[in-house]
Amino acid sequence: MSEIRTLIVDDSSVMRKIVERALRQAGLDPMVVHEAGSGIEGLEVLKAKQIDLILSDINMPSMDGLEFLRQLRAQNLAPGVPVVMITTESSEEHVRQAIQAGAQGYIRKPFTAEQVKERVLPLVHAA
Amino acid sequence: MERAMTQSLRGSVHLVSDPRNLDASVIEVFHLMLGVRTERGPVPLTVEPESVTAVVGFGGVMSGACVFRSGGSAAMKIAAHMTGMDFSEIDDTVKDAIGEICNMLAGSWKGKVPELAANCGLSVPAVITGRDYKLHVQAPEFRLQHGFKFDDASFDVTIICDGLQ
Repeated sequence: MSEIRTLIVDDSSVMRKIVERALRQAGLDPMVVHEAGSGIEGLEVLKAKQIDLILSDINMPSMDGLEFLRQLRAQNLAPGVPVVMITTESSEEHVRQAIQAGAQGYIRKPFTAEQVKERVLPLVHAA
Repeated sequence: MERAMTQSLRGSVHLVSDPRNLDASVIEVFHLMLGVRTERGPVPLTVEPESVTAVVGFGGVMSGACVFRSGGSAAMKIAAHMTGMDFSEIDDTVKDAIGEICNMLAGSWKGKVPELAANCGLSVPAVITGRDYKLHVQAPEFRLQHGFKFDDASFDVTIICDGLQ
């Protein structure tokens, strides 16, 4: 498998590390990880780097994950790159909003590495 | 539609305040994120010189907060389980970890009641560290405070509801 260039957007540095660890446990290795602490930082990374996979929290200060998703679609950044939202918000309405904004997957926190594998790997293989 | 939903939440107050939801949320979050088994323990905690408190606010059909509180040593132990790192002080990573734990507890707890999951938002976590501070809430609609322990670490989690539509 070629190197997967992954962007993890979360205002918590601890959660970014946990998501990275779960992705590696899921078999996404080799992988290069770029981190962003907000939606605004995430957009900056996408303007500067080629990315194959994006995972983003929703509930963040400055720019939340849904607005980040809308902006990256509106600015045509990372076209065709799968986006998976990882968030504590778990209602049908939140999932619907995320899918409507352009997310391909949704993982609720807390999560297991197995859940990450089930929901992320098929998207990476399909991309 | 909104009226029906509001009536539904008022009618579900026994579900919202069900203490089993809090226990289930703590067990789930600590099992999945730390790989540890928690059980109910005493409240209040053993007094430590420094403590850590994280607060995540609820807004929408319910207003209030989820409050996580532990001594410094338990906070460092939780952060160590989450990150695989060792800590000798309550640094930014420990605070970040405790804020995220509180965030997941709040999300898991409200997710147990469908009306709350859909119509109640969460604030970003605020984390307070220090000595000799108290958190006061005037006349809450209901308050759940449970103590928990794993290994030799103890903490407590409080759900405060100060308004329910």
